[in-house]
Amino acid sequence: MEIRSTQERWGGVSRLLHWAMALMIAGQVALGWYMTDLPRGLPKLRLYALHKSFGLTLLALAVLRLLWRLAEHRPALPPMPAWQARGAAFTHVALYALLFAIPLSGWLFNSAAGFPLQWFELVNLPALTGANPALKEVAKELHEGGVTVLLVVLALHAAAALKHHFLDRDRTLASMTPGLRAPAPRQPR
Amino acid sequence: MKASSGRVPAIAARASRFAAVPAAALALALVGATARAAAPLWNVVPAQSSVSFVGTQQGEKFTGAFGAFAARIQFGPADLASSRLESTLQMRSVTTQSAERDDTLATSQWFDSAQFAAATFQTVALRAGVAGVAGAANFTADADLTIKGRTKRIVFPFSWQARPDGAVLDARVTLDRLDFGIGAGEWADESIVGRKVEVIVHLLLAPAAGR
Repeated sequence: MEIRSTQERWGGVSRLLHWAMALMIAGQVALGWYMTDLPRGLPKLRLYALHKSFGLTLLALAVLRLLWRLAEHRPALPPMPAWQARGAAFTHVALYALLFAIPLSGWLFNSAAGFPLQWFELVNLPALTGANPALKEVAKELHEGGVTVLLVVLALHAAAALKHHFLDRDRTLASMTPGLRAPAPRQPR
Repeated sequence: MKASSGRVPAIAARASRFAAVPAAALALALVGATARAAAPLWNVVPAQSSVSFVGTQQGEKFTGAFGAFAARIQFGPADLASSRLESTLQMRSVTTQSAERDDTLATSQWFDSAQFAAATFQTVALRAGVAGVAGAANFTADADLTIKGRTKRIVFPFSWQARPDGAVLDARVTLDRLDFGIGAGEWADESIVGRKVEVIVHLLLAPAAGR
């Protein structure tokens, strides 16, 4: 597998970042949804700590991913109507923005709530602001609202990928997915 | 101050029975009796006094404070035998810059504020101390500290700084929260919340009126 992207396929770095982040985001959304309703106690605190650690990891990966994306050429889009190309560009920009906005709003939420921030019990990170109940509510809304928007954009992103693979039968999904071959063109009967 | 104010008239009454005693000697005896009776009483100036602490949560220090506390301070640097420091803290008045943490602290695993509303502190012996704040007199007290119904004898070093309008008492003492059953059970594990808590007392004291 090529490290860098080619005209036909995403490179190893891009694919690894894409799927590792996708997996972590799925876990984070599930964990975030589950942990908030737990009764106060040590298990809840530990799950929050885990959520924060993975959130910081995702933020760091988002930085890496953006830099990598800017440093190389992406594979060419398969032929498609202009509105679809614009739609793809829009969802990709929105996804990148959310990859930063969601962890950062979580960090802000944590800071305004006056909680410590530790990465896997190894490193402590500074608070973005002092304890601030009003800002805490704003940051909470941004964090949760950001996830809602993310889920909508991700649904579009995944639906488009599946449409390319199964309906258009082009290499879009295969270019990002290890082990997946581009579908054979439909044979006219 | 009931003890000393009660004692002075008693001595005066006894003295009056011996009319032959010269007035000057009587005055001297009264002054002596007052000085021996007790160290002076002080009132806490709440706005400029604090009982705070520094704890550790997930590798990060946090500070907390008790908004409601009262103290009865009877202290004279030269009269340690009759000096005594007492204080009562309302556990529910704790604030730590985090509403969630404050609520957690009130629960049964932590302060159990519903069951044990107050913590008490009282000295049992005082002596001159050595290490401490430069430019201030330093003392050490043995004191009984009761939190969550558990009493522990602690060593309480403090400094005493006389001021034109009163005095300032400063103390720092490190406690082990598990000595008082605070954060027991699953929380005893130090990886989330540290065991050592540094308590910082700063009292601005005004001489009690009526002396």
